[in-house]
Amino acid sequence: MTLQPARPASEQVAGFAALLRDHGLFVGPAEQIAMRQAMTAVGVLSEPHVRAAWRAIACHSVRDWRQWDDLFDRFWHPNRTRGGVKVSGQTKPRPDLRQAVQNMQASSGTASKPGSPAPATAGDKAASPDASESESPQAQGGASRAEAMVQRDGQMWLPTELQQLRAAANAITARLRPTPTRRWIPNQSGQRLNLRQTLRKSISFGGEPLTPVWMSRRERSPKIFILVDVSRSMESHAAFFLRVARAFVQESAARAFVFHTRIIEISDLLHRDSPAVQEKINAVTAGFGAGTRIAQSLHTFTRQHARAQLSNRSRVWIFSDGFDTESPENLSHALAAVKGRGAKVAWFHPTHKTAFSAALEGARRHIDVSLPLANLQDLMQAQRVLR
Amino acid sequence: MSPVNDTPDQLRQRLQNAGYLAGTDLSTAVWLAGELQRPLLLEGDAGVGKTALAQALASVQGAELVRLQCFEGLDLAQAAYEWNYSRQLLSFRAAETSGDRLKADDVFSRSFLLERPLLKAISNEGPCVLLIDEIDRADEAFEAFLLEVLAEYQITIPEIGTIKATTVPQVILTSNGTRELSDALRRRCLYHHLDYPTLAREIAIVKAVLPQVDTALVEEAVQFVQRLRGEDLAKTPGIAETLDWVRALHRMNVHTLVSDMGPLLATLGCLLKTQEDHFLASADRLQQISEGRRYDGVAVKNTPSETAA
Repeated sequence: MTLQPARPASEQVAGFAALLRDHGLFVGPAEQIAMRQAMTAVGVLSEPHVRAAWRAIACHSVRDWRQWDDLFDRFWHPNRTRGGVKVSGQTKPRPDLRQAVQNMQASSGTASKPGSPAPATAGDKAASPDASESESPQAQGGASRAEAMVQRDGQMWLPTELQQLRAAANAITARLRPTPTRRWIPNQSGQRLNLRQTLRKSISFGGEPLTPVWMSRRERSPKIFILVDVSRSMESHAAFFLRVARAFVQESAARAFVFHTRIIEISDLLHRDSPAVQEKINAVTAGFGAGTRIAQSLHTFTRQHARAQLSNRSRVWIFSDGFDTESPENLSHALAAVKGRGAKVAWFHPTHKTAFSAALEGARRHIDVSLPLANLQDLMQAQRVLR
Repeated sequence: MSPVNDTPDQLRQRLQNAGYLAGTDLSTAVWLAGELQRPLLLEGDAGVGKTALAQALASVQGAELVRLQCFEGLDLAQAAYEWNYSRQLLSFRAAETSGDRLKADDVFSRSFLLERPLLKAISNEGPCVLLIDEIDRADEAFEAFLLEVLAEYQITIPEIGTIKATTVPQVILTSNGTRELSDALRRRCLYHHLDYPTLAREIAIVKAVLPQVDTALVEEAVQFVQRLRGEDLAKTPGIAETLDWVRALHRMNVHTLVSDMGPLLATLGCLLKTQEDHFLASADRLQQISEGRRYDGVAVKNTPSETAA
């Protein structure tokens, strides 16, 4: 480990902890104390052990676990980190959405550069009756020429509108039908007598059942997964969709993901409620610009991110125009896999026009409900349909 | 500080002697959990060796393994303690018969308490490994109750008071990720994510557990399982499944998988546990996996030599 003699170890640990916090890891004073204790216990010269010990202390989830090696090397071995560029100004990494998405794009071999045309979309019908338009790469992106937001342009939002968005998220969540389980729980307004507990309680009254215990069937609230398409064709809609996703993450403990050619989870980032994050969400779409691999992203979602949590109480909401660079039937297979786990799939299209993506057309039978979502009003109307 | 585990490497060696092959990361995390007296949360898919670690740890430390299997609806009475009502009633009846007077304190003492796993681990005089298995299956309310136990190693019983551990048990929690655990619980624990092992490590594990099996068969079988994990399966086979399968092949006197697909098909139930997976794994597909051929949709990409033939 490269220790700089000019700075005491505790200061370096604090600096490292700050870097970890910037990347979403919960490393407070207690963790820093534990890290110093661990360093003393295993010996500062044994780097593999210090690395493993600190990892056990600082990581609290799989997400933290997977980014640990990169963060550790970046701080303690900056010379080993390859592919870095010299930059001026703000160099401290920030755990914002834009960075997360740009990292995803940078590490994706197939992602195109921002600003470059989107890859040709396989199997899509003409985006417009005008043949000359349909041949251009922009037209193949489809949704990028769609109408702007009805109420807002997606960039500027007032606090009252954000409040309405959260209220709509609350209302929709409240209307989602809970899944009954086989388990019964104590409930004084329940309809079924818990004979065992009643008899047990009667012991304290000499065997007289003076305090009957009632129970009702336990219900589990649906778990919402929101997948937001942030590809080039969606750049004019992504800001609104991310706000919707954020509202559900904060109000309903939903899990949110963004995808274009790859998929990443952004739930932790959306949990932060600060003006800075709001600003970043305002600007987040600027860095987008790549093709879309919806089927592949859904496949990764089903097999990795939500592998253990997809069940009949899951609601998978996909915010996308359905333009996929893969074969149209791939999307159908990917959605069939999601449905196969019992989840209910809702597809939110960014415009009020009828969706014309071939992939989406082919996958209709695997979509429970298909809705337009161009503005806040659409979201409010969606609560009548979503169950 | 535990006197048994001097260094992480020594602990790793002891675990290896007990038949559990842990990497440096895992052995350091387990060792550190003992040093800092913190619970260790192990996350990972089913069958990667989370529960086996607790069993091996108890074995190498000569500690008692107390296991709490979590499930939906698990409550305090099943996890921590329960009053022995029958015995209390009998005491009252006996006191009435003999004419003695019983006080409430007499029947609310430790002798009338039924110890469940958590209280048993806290009360244990000697070394103890407490395995809280599949914590994600328990309810959020139970998770909240665990916070006191895991942070302070104590249980508060209203009628008696607080019972604090004299010897702090080494606590291992396991989770398959079916539910997200609370941040409060996560922050009280050290964390380790157990993934599927690499080819070399899995071969070493199988050879350590089943030394009597031919090395060639072990290598072929593990390679096959590793490739199988790349398939789109509903239930990916873990190390436990690999061990079961190799054991089954050995009992059937199979020495190689290359020449004959019969034993593989006959023992496939050891690896694939759902009807959907069995449907996907046709004989042809298994042959391709066994030979290491790639599969892309309906087309099989043959090697150049196969094409020439």
